[in-house]
Amino acid sequence: MIEPASLGNFFTIFFTSAMVIMLGALYALLFAFSRLKGDARLMPLAYLSYAGLLISTLFLADAANLLKHPFWTVIVAFMLVGYLLAPHAIWHLCVGTHADEHAEVQPVPLKDF
Amino acid sequence: MATLGQLDSANLNGGQKLAVKYFTVAIVLFGAQVLFGLLSGLQYLYPDFLYGVLDFSVNRMVHINALVVWLLYGFLGSVYWLLEEESQHEVVGLKLGNLIYWVLTSAVTVVVLVYLFVQIGPGKESTIWLINEGREYIEAPRWADIGIVVSVLVVFYNVAATFSQGRYTGIAGVLVLDMLALFGIYLAGMFYTTNISIDQYWWWWVIHLWVEATWEVMVACIMAYGLMKVLGVSRKIVETWLYIEVALMFGSGILGLGHHYFWIGTPEYWFSIGGFFSALEPIPLVAMVVHAVFDAGARHAKNSNHPAMAWLIAHAFGNFFGAGVWGFMHTLPQINLYTHGTQWSASHGHLAFFGAYATIIIAMFYLGVQRWRSGVWMSGDLPGNGWKWKWALGLLNLGMVGMTVSMLVSGYVQSQIERAIEGSTWMGYFAAQIHPWFAQGMWWREVFGVMFLIGFVLLVWDLLTIGKGESRAMQPAVSEN
Repeated sequence: MIEPASLGNFFTIFFTSAMVIMLGALYALLFAFSRLKGDARLMPLAYLSYAGLLISTLFLADAANLLKHPFWTVIVAFMLVGYLLAPHAIWHLCVGTHADEHAEVQPVPLKDF
Repeated sequence: MATLGQLDSANLNGGQKLAVKYFTVAIVLFGAQVLFGLLSGLQYLYPDFLYGVLDFSVNRMVHINALVVWLLYGFLGSVYWLLEEESQHEVVGLKLGNLIYWVLTSAVTVVVLVYLFVQIGPGKESTIWLINEGREYIEAPRWADIGIVVSVLVVFYNVAATFSQGRYTGIAGVLVLDMLALFGIYLAGMFYTTNISIDQYWWWWVIHLWVEATWEVMVACIMAYGLMKVLGVSRKIVETWLYIEVALMFGSGILGLGHHYFWIGTPEYWFSIGGFFSALEPIPLVAMVVHAVFDAGARHAKNSNHPAMAWLIAHAFGNFFGAGVWGFMHTLPQINLYTHGTQWSASHGHLAFFGAYATIIIAMFYLGVQRWRSGVWMSGDLPGNGWKWKWALGLLNLGMVGMTVSMLVSGYVQSQIERAIEGSTWMGYFAAQIHPWFAQGMWWREVFGVMFLIGFVLLVWDLLTIGKGESRAMQPAVSEN
């Protein structure tokens, strides 16, 4: 069911796992900033972060022997789809839950926080 | 008439007076946790230190049990703190709540004294009942276990009865159900079986589900309350997000329990369940980033309590890095095989517990002090530019990050030498322990532990003095909807 990682891949696994989470957060951050400020230039950077996440995930999957088993390959696919869509879904929820407030208050730049 | 800047219980409602008692014991136990952590860290460096007097096993037990109990006290205190304001009704059964506080505190005192002065028993049934149950993290003897369950049950009664007679809000609904789970799940750790796999299976219900379900939900409730108080966020928004976050947390967190079942003799399907849900667990944290940016941009927020706000921000970062990054780095079974139970786990545990729980309880301490001093000014332009709370914040967080990274280095060596190369043998264990990188990591952990201790002392000093003699009233946050 699982094939343990080899010693030589330890660092790759630790590093890419950390990068998955960090780049996931960076993608979410840039995505939200882009939408909030209406700045389309940030969106490519957001997707660039996601591309980094994708590459990290593939390196992780290879180092941890995930792609050798169908079940773990599906988990990798779920992770990639989940990280891609979560910021979109949460943004829609944000807009929905703040709908009343937005009728009166326009979004302001983060520096005013 | 209460005077601004003076500690005066007349400023507090009944629930808040009880909360202050819980907070006080929480801080004392926090100090005990730090002290015994330093002692056990020192024993890594000098194994003979206090040998036969206070062995490593005893110091470590007190260190971890103090953590569990101070956080529990912090949470129960926080619940009592918000109870009357949230329900707009006096706490039902407050006398019983006070009585149980004294019973619980007396029990905790006796348990700690037994840990320190009796330490071990004859290994019979009486040992489990009177001295030490022997289960890591929840070593309290059976009589104390029963006491904890009864105490939490009384808090559940206080909470449920108060909300049912007063205003029943969204926070109330979540909190009542959570208090029920807090009581119920602890029962899983109270029966003994001779089969270690079965024993560990239920033990993890307490360790994981208490922490990653009931405590996380309590944190979400406290955060919802805290955001309304400190930033004036509307009730409608925080309660909607409370439901969303609880759903996300339950979606991945409950079956994330599986990552503890990899190596205890449970069936292989736990690899799949644990691996799948552990991989999804960080997604709610990433989603949280979007919400935080949205909220920050959608309002001109003026917070009424800078130290509390700073600790709430520390909570968001600590939770993200400690639970998210440090957790995911070694959660998949393919790598967890080598890291489980090494200093890697300790590294993750330190940052996650501090980031996810200690920080938000400290934020509640500051909210408490502000009200206790009659709603005193605690925004910008504090005397001395608020150096004490800023230095405490910096030293505690840097100390914790330093300890985490030190243990990470040691754990990395351990996972390679002890586990991967030597195959988890005794020889492998000792080979890793004497490796220079492991030893250096342990030294640095102690150095940063001392930094953490200094931060703790400053924190206590600040909590005792902040707002003293201040003549300005607090600037209220934007009123809730």
